[in-house]
Amino acid sequence: MTTAMSNPASPEVGEIDRSARCSLSFLLVSSFAWLVFGGILALINLVQLHTPTFLADCSIFTFGRLQAMQETALIYGWAANAGLAVALWLLARLGGSPLRGANYVLLGGIFWSLGVQLAIMGIALGDQTSFAFLQMPRYAQPILLFAFAAVAAPGVLVWTGRRNETTYATQWYAVAALFLFPWFFSVAQVMLIFSPVRGVLQAVVAAWFAQNLFSLWLAPLAMAALYYLVPKIKGKVVPSYDFAIYGFWSLLLFGTWMGGRHLIGGPVPAWIPTMGITATVLVLFHHMIVFVNLRGVFTPGGSTVLKFAAYGFGAYLLGAVVDVVISSRAFAVATQFTLFQQAQTHLGVAAFSMIMFAAIYFLAPRLVGAAWPSAGLIRAHYVASAGGFTLLIASLAIAGWKQGVALNDASVSFEMIASQLRPWLLAATAAQALLIVGNLSLGIHFVRLFFTKSTESTLKQFSQPATLEASVS
Amino acid sequence: MKNGPLFFFGLFFALALSWAGLALGTQAQLGSLSPHYDDLEGKAFPERANGIASRGQLVYQDLGCAACHTQQVRRPEFGADKERNWGQRQSVARDYVHQTRPLLGNSRIGPDLANFGARSLAADENEEFLLAYLYNGIHGMPAYRFLFDVRKQVGESSPKALQGVAPTGYELVPTERAETLVAYLMSLKQSYAFAEARPFEPASKAEGAHE
Repeated sequence: MTTAMSNPASPEVGEIDRSARCSLSFLLVSSFAWLVFGGILALINLVQLHTPTFLADCSIFTFGRLQAMQETALIYGWAANAGLAVALWLLARLGGSPLRGANYVLLGGIFWSLGVQLAIMGIALGDQTSFAFLQMPRYAQPILLFAFAAVAAPGVLVWTGRRNETTYATQWYAVAALFLFPWFFSVAQVMLIFSPVRGVLQAVVAAWFAQNLFSLWLAPLAMAALYYLVPKIKGKVVPSYDFAIYGFWSLLLFGTWMGGRHLIGGPVPAWIPTMGITATVLVLFHHMIVFVNLRGVFTPGGSTVLKFAAYGFGAYLLGAVVDVVISSRAFAVATQFTLFQQAQTHLGVAAFSMIMFAAIYFLAPRLVGAAWPSAGLIRAHYVASAGGFTLLIASLAIAGWKQGVALNDASVSFEMIASQLRPWLLAATAAQALLIVGNLSLGIHFVRLFFTKSTESTLKQFSQPATLEASVS
Repeated sequence: MKNGPLFFFGLFFALALSWAGLALGTQAQLGSLSPHYDDLEGKAFPERANGIASRGQLVYQDLGCAACHTQQVRRPEFGADKERNWGQRQSVARDYVHQTRPLLGNSRIGPDLANFGARSLAADENEEFLLAYLYNGIHGMPAYRFLFDVRKQVGESSPKALQGVAPTGYELVPTERAETLVAYLMSLKQSYAFAEARPFEPASKAEGAHE
C-alpha cells in the first residue's frame, strides 16, 4: 500500500480516496440537493420578475425574500459544499496521505447543511439581514462558522502533514480558500451583525465581504481544481509554471479590494469606488497568468471533463474583462442598480459551477470506485448547463442594459421598462428551467454511481483512466 | 513555496491589508460623523426617525423591499435621479448616521425611495394613499394583501378601515405591520442641504473665489 502511494504510477483508486469516500460523498450529495433546490427558488424569482403577481399573496414568497433564499441556497448550499468536497479531495491526493479526521468533515457537513436550512427558513419568515450574499439571519451565522471549521480543519491538516516539502499551485489555492473564508466571514459577522458599525460603513464592509466571497473563496476553489485537472488529463506539464505563484498572490492582494466598485456614485467616500476600479484592472494580471498556465483547457480533445472546465474557465476570464469595462464610471452609470449586475453574478457562478462539475465528473469515479454509468447523461448535462448558462447570462445582460438606459431617461415610466424587459426575462426563465433539468440529471447520476457495484468490468476501466470520464463511448 | 508559516502569514496579511484599508480607513474618515446642528432651524439634521417609523424599517427589511428599491440618490449629472424627482441632491454619508441598518439597496426594479416621504408630502399623498398602493399594487409592484385584514363589520367600522375597497358588510383594516411600514416610508427624506452634498463646481466659477 505504501509503495503504491509513493509510486507515481499508483492505481487510480487508492487508500487516499477510500479514506474520504463517505464524508465527501455526503458533501457532494448535499451540494446537488442545494443546487436543485436553489435553482427552483431562482426560477420562481425569475417568474416574479416578469409576472409580479405570481405567489405575491404569500408572505413567504415576496420577491425580496425569495431572492435572499435562492442566493443563500446557491452560494452556501451548492457552491460551499461542492467547493469543500473538491478542495479536500485535491488536498488529500496531492498531500499523499489519507484524509485524517474525515468524521469531522461528515459532522461539519451535516451541521453546515442544517445551518443553511435554518438560514433559509429564517429568511422565509422575515429575518434576512438585507446584506447581499450575507442574507442569513444572525442565529444561523455562528453555526456555519463552526461547521466550516470542522470541514476545513482536516484539509489544512492534510496540507501541513503532506509528504512532500514542495507544494503545487492547486494546494495554495485550496488552502487559501479554506483559511481565508473563516477570516472574512467572522469579521463580517462581527462588524455587520453582532456589533454593527455605523451608517454607510456597513455598506462598505458588506461590499468588502461580498467581494471576498467571490475573489478569495469561490475563485481560488475553482483555480485549485483547474490546476489539477488540466495537466492531469492532458498529460502535459503546465506551461510557464514559474509564473503561477505571481498569479496566486496577485489574486489575493488585488481581488479583495474590488468590492468598492459597486458603490460608485453612492454615499461613501469617492476613494472607495476608485480603489475598487483600480483593483479590478490590477487583478487582470492574475487572469493573464492563469490563462497562460491553463490555456490547454481550450483544446479539450475528447474529454468531457475538460469541456466543462473550458466553459467555466472561459466564463471566468470573460467575467474579469466585463468587470473592468463595467466598473468604469461611464458604463456603471447605466448598468448600476440593474439586472446587468445579476448577469455578472450569474457569470461568476457559472464559471465556478462549470469548473466544479468538471472536477466532480473527474473525482467521483475515483472516490466511489466505479465508472459513471452513462456517458449520455453527462453529455446531456453539459448541453443543458452550457446552453442554460449562456442563455441566462445573455438575456439578463441585455435586459439589464435596456433597463439601465431606460432608467437614465426620465421620460420612460416603470411600466414601460417592465414591458421592454419582458421577452428577455421570459428567455431567462426558460434558461433557468433548463439548468434545473441538467442539474437534476447530475444528482440522479451520482446516486446511481454511488450504488454501482465495482465489478470486474468497471475495475478494468481504471487501468485506462480516460474511460472514467466517459470521454470514450 | 516551502515555508508554511510564511505562507499563512501572507494569506492573513493580504486580507488584513484590505480590511484595514477599507473598513478601518472608512471608520477613521466617517466614524465620528455627527448630525449637523442648524442654528436657524434650531434642530439637528438628519432628524431621528420616530419609534413607529423605526419599527417600520424592520418590516421593510423583513419583506425584502430593498431587493427592488434603492435608498441612495446619485449626483445630478450621474444618471437621471434628479430628473426622475428622486432627490434634488446626492445622498451623503451624513444622511444615514442615525440608521441602525442603512438599506441602500443595489437594484432599481422600482423607484428609489430615499426621499419617498418628502415626495408624498409634496404630492399631497397621505398614509391612506400609501395603504391603498400596498393593498392594490401599483406600476408593476405586486399587492401585499397579507398586510391587511378583511373582517366582518360588526357595529361601527374601525377608524383605521380603508374606505371603498371591501365588499359591503366587511371592512379592510391594515395590520400594525402595514401601518408601521407606511410610517417608515413617510419618514424617508434627505432634503436638508448639507454642505458636502452640494454639487461640485470648478473653483474658478465658485462664488467669492480668489483668482
